[in-house]
Amino acid sequence: MKKKYVEMLYGYLFVIPVIIGVLLFVIYPIFTGFYYSFTNYSPLDVSRNTVNANIQEEIEIQYNLDPSSTSLEEFTAGFDIVTFLDYGLLIDVSGVKKDILIRNFDYKLFYSDFAGNALNKTVNVADALKKYITKDSNKVFPSYKPGFKGFENYRKLLFKDDLFWLTIGNSFFYAIFVVLIQTLLAVILAISANGKKRGVAFFKTVFFIPSITSSAAICTIFMIIYNKSGVLNNVLGYFGVEPIEWLVNPDTALPAVMAMAIWTTAGYFMVTFLAGLQSIPAEMYESAEIDGANTLQCFTHITIPFLRPQIVYVVILGTIGCLQVFDQIYFLITNMKSATIAFYIYRTAFKYGDMGYASGMAVVLFVIIFTVTTLQRKFIKESVE
Amino acid sequence: MKDSTLCVLPRSGHRDNVVVRYFTLLIMLSYAILSLFPFIWAFLVSLSPIVFTATGGPHAGELVNVDIKKFPPEINIFTGTVFGAPMTLSNYFAIFRLFPFARWFFNTVIFACAVSTGVIFFNTVAAYAFARLRFPLREFWFSVFLATMMVPFHVTMIPLYNLMVKMGWINTYQGLIIPKLISVSIIFFMRSFFIGFPKSLEEAAYIDGAGIPRILFTIVLPNCKAAIAAQFIYVFLGSWNEFMWPLIVTSKPEMATLTMGLTYFQGGFYTDWQYLMAATMMITVPMFVVFIIFQKQFISSNISSGVKG
Repeated sequence: MKKKYVEMLYGYLFVIPVIIGVLLFVIYPIFTGFYYSFTNYSPLDVSRNTVNANIQEEIEIQYNLDPSSTSLEEFTAGFDIVTFLDYGLLIDVSGVKKDILIRNFDYKLFYSDFAGNALNKTVNVADALKKYITKDSNKVFPSYKPGFKGFENYRKLLFKDDLFWLTIGNSFFYAIFVVLIQTLLAVILAISANGKKRGVAFFKTVFFIPSITSSAAICTIFMIIYNKSGVLNNVLGYFGVEPIEWLVNPDTALPAVMAMAIWTTAGYFMVTFLAGLQSIPAEMYESAEIDGANTLQCFTHITIPFLRPQIVYVVILGTIGCLQVFDQIYFLITNMKSATIAFYIYRTAFKYGDMGYASGMAVVLFVIIFTVTTLQRKFIKESVE
Repeated sequence: MKDSTLCVLPRSGHRDNVVVRYFTLLIMLSYAILSLFPFIWAFLVSLSPIVFTATGGPHAGELVNVDIKKFPPEINIFTGTVFGAPMTLSNYFAIFRLFPFARWFFNTVIFACAVSTGVIFFNTVAAYAFARLRFPLREFWFSVFLATMMVPFHVTMIPLYNLMVKMGWINTYQGLIIPKLISVSIIFFMRSFFIGFPKSLEEAAYIDGAGIPRILFTIVLPNCKAAIAAQFIYVFLGSWNEFMWPLIVTSKPEMATLTMGLTYFQGGFYTDWQYLMAATMMITVPMFVVFIIFQKQFISSNISSGVKG
C-alpha cells in the first residue's frame, strides 16, 4: 500500500517539470495559435495602444507643479487626471472611461507618489496608472483584444492570396525533389560502401560531415560558391558556360538551394541505409541465386523489403523537414518568387506584424504536413507488403 | 548478369569483380570530394587576405584585391600563398575585433551546454517515470505528449514569441534556453530504451532497500551511459547549430548566437567574404572536433533512430 503511493509520488515528481513545460510552451501555444488564426492579431496594434511616458516629468512641465513644494490641496486644485490623459498624453478617455476616472481615481495615493518622486521614470502609462484606479481599472485601460474575424483569414489565403499558393507550390517542389534525390543518392552510396572492408570508416566520416554542420554556416559557404563571381561559375567557365547569378535568377535560385540541401543530408541517410544493408544475411542472396533469381528480382525482393524501415524513416522525416524548410531560404533566397511557405509565414508574422493571418497559414501548413505524412505511411506500407 | 551491380553489391563482397569494385570506389571517392570541397574552399578563403601588395604582373607593387574565385586556388605551402596572395590568420583576429564575436561564442556555448544538459536531465527522468513507475493519468499524459509531436513549430512559434514578450524574456538567456528544454522525441526514445532494460537489476536493489531515486541515479542511469551520451551529443549539436529560435527570441546583437551572428556579416551592398568565412570556420570546426571524438555515438544514434521509424 505504502509502496504504491511512494511510486505515485516519484512518478509525478519526475514528470511534473516536463508536463509544465509541455503545457506552457507547446499546448498553450498550439491552442492560442489556432485562436489567432481566426483574428487579426497584430503586435503593431498592441504597441499603438501603449503610451510610454515619464508621468512625473510630464506633470511638472505641463502643469508647472514642483513635487517638493506643492501640497495635496494645491495639487488637486491644479491637476485633473482626465484632462491630463486626454490632452497631455493624447490617450482617449471619453464616455464610461471618464466616469470611472472621476469616481475612482485615488488622488491622495497619486499625490504621495508624485511628491515622493516615485513616478520619475519612463513607464507604460496604462500599467502605471492602474494602481491608482480603485475600481474597474480594466475598463479604462482594456488589455489588447484582437478582432475576431471568423474564417476571413482562411478565405483570404485560400482564394485571394497568390503568394500563398506560390510558396506552397515551391515547398512541394522542394520537398518532392529533395526527398526523392537524397533518398536515391543515399541508397546508391550505401550500396557502394556495403561489403567494402577498408576505407568505409573514412567514407562514413566524410559523408557525415555536411549533416553535422549548421545550416547557417552551410548557407554562407554556398553563398561564395553560388555567387556570380564565385567558384562555381569560374569552374563552369572552363566549359564555356556563361556566368549565372544562381541565387538571384528565379529559375535557378530554388534548385540551387535544393542541390545544397541534398548535399547536406544524403550522407547522413547513407549511414542509415548502410546499417540496414548490413543486417541482410548473405545467405538470402545465395539461396535466391540458387533459386534462379535475377539481379532485379534480388534487389526488389530482398534488398528493398529489408530496407523498408529505413526507407519509411528517411522519406517521412525528409518530407516533414523539407516542407518546413526555413534557414536556407532566409539566408539564400532574395526573391519571394522562390520562397517557401515557412519563410512566408515568418515574414508575414515578424516583418509585417500580421500574426493572425500568419497563424492561419501555419494551421494550413500543419494540415498539409499531417495529411502528406499519413498518406505516405499508408502508401509505403501497402506498396512493400 | 550475376555480376551486375545491383544484386552483387549488397553482399559481403568476396566475389565482386574488379570493374564493380573500382566503379563503386569511384562513386564514393567523387562524393567524398564533393562533400569536402565546400569546406576546403571556405577554409582557403578564410586564410586569404582581403587585399595584398602584388609582386608581379601589370599591378606589381600596388595594393590589389585577392581573387577568391580562382580555380585551381594556387596554393603553395612552401611560399605560404593561397589565391596567389600570402596566407594569413588575420581574418580570425579581425572578426573578434570588428564584431562582438567573443560574446556570440560565449552565448552559443552557454545556450548549447544549458539546453543539452537540461533536455537530457528532465526528459530522461520523465522517460523513466513513463516506462517504470505507475501513477494516475500516465497513459493520458504520454499520449498528449505524442500528439504534440505532429504539430510543426510554425504553429506554436507566434504564440510562443508573444508569451516571451509577456514574460519579459525577449533578449534573455532564460528566453533562449527554457522553452527549448522539452523534447518529446527524447522522452519517447528513452522510454522504449528503459522498457527494454532488464528489470531484475532494479528489483534486486529494491529488495536491498534502495528507494526509487537511488535506483534510478545509481543503478539504471549508469548502465545507460552509452544511450544517454549519444542523445546528449545530438542535442548539443542541434542547439549549437540552432538558428530559428535565437532569430525569433533575440533582437540585440549582444544576445545573438554564432549562427545569428553570421547574418551581421552580410552588408547591404558588399560582404567581406574573408571575414564571413573565418566566422563560418569558427562555428564549424568545434563541431568537427566533437564529431571526430564522438563518432561512434553519432553513428549509433543515427542508426537507432533509423530503426525506430
